[in-house]
Amino acid sequence: MVRENNTGKIILFLLPMMVLYILFFLFPLLYNLSLSYQEWNGITKPSFVGWENYKNLLKDEIFLKSVKNNLLWALVNGFIQVPLAAGVAFILARQPRFWKSLRVIYFLPKVISGVAIAMMWRAIYNPSYGVLNAFLGIFGNEPVNWLGQIGTALPAVMFQEVVYIGYFMIIILASVMSIPVSLYEAAQIDGANVFQQEMNITIPMVKTTLITAITLAMAYGMRHFEATFLMTNGGPAHSTTVMGLLLYNKMAAFNYGEATATGTILIIMGTLVIIVMRRLFRDNDNASVSQ
Amino acid sequence: MVSNKNAAVTTLQNILKWIFLGFFLFISLYPLLWLFLASFKGTNLDLQTNPFGLPEIWHFENYADAMATAKLGSLFFHSILVAGFAVVVNLAVTSMGAFILSRVEFRGREVIYTMVTAGVLIPIISFMVPYFTVIRVLGLYDRLLALIIVYSAINIPVSIFLLTNFMGGIPQELEEAAIIDGCRFHQRFTKVILPLTQSGLATAGTLCFIYAWNEFIMALLLTSSESSRTIQLGIRFFTSQFQTDYTSMYAAIVLSIIPSVIIYTLFNEKIVSSMTAGAVKG
Repeated sequence: MVRENNTGKIILFLLPMMVLYILFFLFPLLYNLSLSYQEWNGITKPSFVGWENYKNLLKDEIFLKSVKNNLLWALVNGFIQVPLAAGVAFILARQPRFWKSLRVIYFLPKVISGVAIAMMWRAIYNPSYGVLNAFLGIFGNEPVNWLGQIGTALPAVMFQEVVYIGYFMIIILASVMSIPVSLYEAAQIDGANVFQQEMNITIPMVKTTLITAITLAMAYGMRHFEATFLMTNGGPAHSTTVMGLLLYNKMAAFNYGEATATGTILIIMGTLVIIVMRRLFRDNDNASVSQ
Repeated sequence: MVSNKNAAVTTLQNILKWIFLGFFLFISLYPLLWLFLASFKGTNLDLQTNPFGLPEIWHFENYADAMATAKLGSLFFHSILVAGFAVVVNLAVTSMGAFILSRVEFRGREVIYTMVTAGVLIPIISFMVPYFTVIRVLGLYDRLLALIIVYSAINIPVSIFLLTNFMGGIPQELEEAAIIDGCRFHQRFTKVILPLTQSGLATAGTLCFIYAWNEFIMALLLTSSESSRTIQLGIRFFTSQFQTDYTSMYAAIVLSIIPSVIIYTLFNEKIVSSMTAGAVKG
């Protein structure tokens, strides 16, 4: 690395990036926090109200429901989607026929916009014209209003996210592929079957990656917003609401204080998920084989 | 007897394996295929009478309807403009930043790098109010420039991470040789490092482009009129415009997906490898 005396040039090169970073990361963080202690409708002068916005949120049933749903999203993402992705990655790592094409296809839905995917699934779930009811109708089932009734709406929104495993599959697959083949050869000579090999070699060797994937998936669950906004808008009867949606609605109602308080809680809870996961698994990490 | 049993187990394993892989293949492709076929069908009634099959008559006019009703042409143009310039701005500022962070020793280097890359941990949706305020104050509300700036800024952490690592891998000797040859500070950046970073720039640029092309919520928040509407907002508004005509709406969705599929076909190796780099290190 080259030692540089010219501070001016360093600053000049970093400046454009830092200006944008400060405007769109640091300032928003502080602005969110400071507004969350104020009452403001966007027009009149904001006034300091202490913990009032937070207290209001904790009394708000929709907020509590949102937090609960976000936690559910985090759990479903972390402990259903990631294991499914890991299963696919473990299989693909053994390079069955077409594995390269499958890898590319599984990731495809992840590059298509969330709006298009959500609209597509709305079409699929459509009670009159959707293909899902058409398919179930073959077996004589009555049409179901998937997104319109309380029991099915949340699972329906979750399904269309959980089945797109591409992102986590790619991460885990890369990690599995880096395990030396000799380990599996040795296990095979010792008579270990495929299942035993996966349990005793693959999972311990990619544990760090699995934990990273679960942590990321849970963090994404905490910030879930778009598909719900587009598919159910939180309904029916707020059964699918999430914190991001509540923030949006509070903001649309010019309740900037509670909107930013929701945002601050969202940031804190998202960070907490990451910290808790790190804490839970840190000791194990240190003990595991050097990776 | 034993080998027979083993063979049966292996066959069963194989069947289960392909059912599992087949399910995800089906769920990744069939909904898209169904949407594609539905977008060529005649009326809503066709969706009920013929939900699975090919359209009896291929109604290409659905696409013409979608283009006209939703003014898709101009929405496409807006999205390309926004995504393209977001990539340019993002790469311009992050390549300069990454050059300093990867190849120049100074106090606070680690702090800046950690702080900037930690930005990926923040849920951007929690910044709805601050972004709205910043864009208002800058006088950019309802202008495409607002989206260009916001998207290029949101992608700074990812690009800095990718480019700093990429530039850090370029041998030091090249730069030292350039200094001996009389290369000045900015020339080391433009003449030595940047040309060697092309592949890293392509990766970071592709990710930024996909993000900007697909982004929805900030576009909804920061623009209002048709003159600054992006394609993603367009699809959302079709829902109300096409209340009675689902097949044309599906045509519009299909049209919005095509550019993503093209980019993915061209760059899937880059996209996939950048995903891996990010997650393994982060």
